[in-house]
Amino acid sequence: MERCVQRHVELQTCQLPLDEYNELSHNLSYLNMVIIGSESAVILRLRGPLELKCQLDSTDVVFMQKAISRAFEALRLQVKSKSCVLAICDSPLLIWPNKCVYEEISPDTPCEDIFQWIQTNDQESGGKRTTKKKNRKCFSASVLNFSLMTEVTKPGPLSAPILTKTVQRSHFLCATLQVDCAVCSSCSDPIKDGCGRLLEALTRQLFEMEKVFLQHMRGTMVLVPEPLHFLLPEPNGLVTVVFPRDLPDKELEAQRRELHKQFELPDDKPYFRRANTFHFPNEPYKDGYLRNPHAVLTHPALDNGKVYLVQGIYSYHHYMQDRMDDNGWGCAYRSLQTICSWFKQQGYVERCVPTHKEIQQALVDVGDKQASFVGSRQWIGSIEVQAVLDQLLGVTSKIMFVSQGSELASKGRELANHFLSEGTPVMIGGGVLAHTILGVAWSETTGEIRYLILDPHYTGAEDLQVITDKGWCGWKGPDFWDQTAYYNLCLPQRPRVI
Amino acid sequence: MGRSYIVEEDVEGYLSKLCSQLTGPVTGLLIGQSLVKRDFIVMATRTPQNESADAGKSVDKEWVSEHARQVSRMLPGGLSVLGVFMVSESDAKDTLTTLRQLLFSVENLISSEQLWMPAGDDVTDCVTLHINPKTRKTVCRTFDVKDPKSVAKPADWKYQSGVCSSWATVSCWLNIDLLVPLPGSITCTKPVDDCLKEELKVWAQQIERGVCLIEGKKLPEDSEIKTGQKKNVRQTYTAQLLITPDGQMVPDVVQQCGGSLSVRGAIHSRAFLHSNKPKAKLAEKLLKRDIISTVATRVQMLLEEPQTQTEENKERKQTEQFCLPRRVFCPVKATSPLCVCDYQFSDEGLSEMTDRFKEMLDIEATEADLDITQELITEVIESNAKEESLMEEAEPPHPWRNNYIGVAMATAVALLASAASMLYLSDA
Repeated sequence: MERCVQRHVELQTCQLPLDEYNELSHNLSYLNMVIIGSESAVILRLRGPLELKCQLDSTDVVFMQKAISRAFEALRLQVKSKSCVLAICDSPLLIWPNKCVYEEISPDTPCEDIFQWIQTNDQESGGKRTTKKKNRKCFSASVLNFSLMTEVTKPGPLSAPILTKTVQRSHFLCATLQVDCAVCSSCSDPIKDGCGRLLEALTRQLFEMEKVFLQHMRGTMVLVPEPLHFLLPEPNGLVTVVFPRDLPDKELEAQRRELHKQFELPDDKPYFRRANTFHFPNEPYKDGYLRNPHAVLTHPALDNGKVYLVQGIYSYHHYMQDRMDDNGWGCAYRSLQTICSWFKQQGYVERCVPTHKEIQQALVDVGDKQASFVGSRQWIGSIEVQAVLDQLLGVTSKIMFVSQGSELASKGRELANHFLSEGTPVMIGGGVLAHTILGVAWSETTGEIRYLILDPHYTGAEDLQVITDKGWCGWKGPDFWDQTAYYNLCLPQRPRVI
Repeated sequence: MGRSYIVEEDVEGYLSKLCSQLTGPVTGLLIGQSLVKRDFIVMATRTPQNESADAGKSVDKEWVSEHARQVSRMLPGGLSVLGVFMVSESDAKDTLTTLRQLLFSVENLISSEQLWMPAGDDVTDCVTLHINPKTRKTVCRTFDVKDPKSVAKPADWKYQSGVCSSWATVSCWLNIDLLVPLPGSITCTKPVDDCLKEELKVWAQQIERGVCLIEGKKLPEDSEIKTGQKKNVRQTYTAQLLITPDGQMVPDVVQQCGGSLSVRGAIHSRAFLHSNKPKAKLAEKLLKRDIISTVATRVQMLLEEPQTQTEENKERKQTEQFCLPRRVFCPVKATSPLCVCDYQFSDEGLSEMTDRFKEMLDIEATEADLDITQELITEVIESNAKEESLMEEAEPPHPWRNNYIGVAMATAVALLASAASMLYLSDA
């Protein structure tokens, strides 16, 4: 059984005046242990802007800090107050969690029933949605989105307003905190428990934000904190971390080391780089490329066989994309783009996926090709792919050579090891074709092998259904390869960094 | 097809009375509610005497407009100045030109004070009414006040009884909590006005974007608020408003300031809808506009008071508190749910209120008629002492432990270089 544990993150251990927070920090009770089978988990996500405004009435750091702490405390009180409202996005449902008022539903309604109230827009900008969501059942890793609102009306009569004017040379802080909390829940949990946990998470997040805010304050320079979610390997699960928003990854290395220690993670994978923030299901990608089309496939079950797959997220690059007609010659370029997209999305590089021209220019720059190569329609092979990965991304690759296609059937162990230790997509070129290998299903005992292939020769639109139905992304047997041709494989090596 | 004005019977009597007091031309305002298909006039009020002007010679456009501006502040949501009337013996053609000028001047002045955004479904036609006191002939025309070139269109003017009776009321009490910095160098209160007005505009947008619930439910736009069948059953509905700040609007910044202004407390807001199938969307629009207007009006009134203009004292920190005036309601008629309102400063008595209702709206009210229960007068707390005692606490700075070597902040939120210009002068 898989477990999903959500834990609180402590960025540092400084003293905060409020006992409540210290109690929360050291109390194990908020460790949310939710057992996820494959179909019964739901993520509750709460987002919303909160305004932080205060007058900083001195240059004395202590007093400034106190003023800011007071402002944060006011926000925390607001979250606990009766005027705090959670609205379930795309639905008419409204919840006053601190008053136990639930519009249209009851506090004991299970989370899965909430989905029936949601009016979805079935088009997502990342490709046509074809998986059937019409029955609105709560399926694996569904997300229930909440937004944070404040009720400004109250029963009266109340006192008329007072205008207070404070005249003093000082500073004024005005910032918008974008809170973003995520808790895991089981489908059958009543909604009131989910809301309770969301509010706890929100209170903790406000404490975190206060810490980060004060920690990064230098005189009157402030950095606004931003929450980010990361999906860590078991048993950690979905974790939320607060980083200062405008600091680039390279300036946060010390924080990341601290986090790796805290979560007992190895130091050679950049779990906490911004590019690796958790992408919530059904959230569209703005660039329009499909992500991980292989995820919807059923993987082959071989006798005593195991499936070894690419680790992480890549985009599917293929013929005719980006208004580039490379039909017939660009397959290796596209495979290379898929590999580059992997390195970007796992946070190893910041460089965007290179265009055909940029790839060609890189080869000219390393002296592998003449200047006339740029703008041509010449094919490239694994060696060129290796050279470009090195030149543009600083990534080294191993080359595997097979003298005949039939030999690929015996490369199960090597490929399996590659996916286990590197987890990067593999480019394979031979005969007249280039492909990307995303995984391998291999049985140590029988030697049976299947290859998960992403085919760059596809010329159609980003339609997940077509791509998977027609096998443009699919499992192939050893006969997929030209049995007599020789093949070169480029196996990119994952940098060991934090 | 022209517009159709359904007018409360009492207005006929009122205008008749004005006709019989022949002291030169009499102007005044017509008050009511304009819906897409029909308009209702619930009361009329004559322009007060301008003691400093020549008696009854020509019509003073500025005076009429100023009266309209003040009357407009006294009308809760749903009621507005729909037009002007004139009782005079002059020729209909001349009076139409004068009336047209008056109308545009009045409506332009009133709309210049509005903080809320005009909506696509607002009615922009306003009415002019001319009555010849000798012949009692009534000429009613409308103009589109958003179109400077608009021409007069004929309109129906029908008197009916009970126009003031069948109205639904939507109301709420709303918390307001604004905080705005004062500009770095204060020389006079004018910048203060602007700062506060800017903040009010932002707040007004938040209110307009807010989710409005009526009797606890978010009703679909075209649905009706449930109305009773009987006309004389008071239909009152409570509304709730949920807001979120706009994440994109304000840049995150620490700026120099000369202090701050805060407005905290609650207001009572009310809007009236003619209860011939009132729509939820209209109720929401009118209530939100009333919320925005009542706060803006009071702030404006407070800023106009001489006592809020204090002299600057650079040396010390000064804190002052002023109560915004509280809202007091007065019924238009004994049998009607409709009310007008006014604002009472803490140093004013109820007799001043009744005087103003008489002067501005020509309503005879006694102190007992006034509803002062909707908002409570606040006690101004002496907070100066509290602020200063915090300053005097000498605490050791917290030992913030930094886990990383201080790195230069390569990208930081924009702000002004403050070190050189910050002089913190001690109290002694």
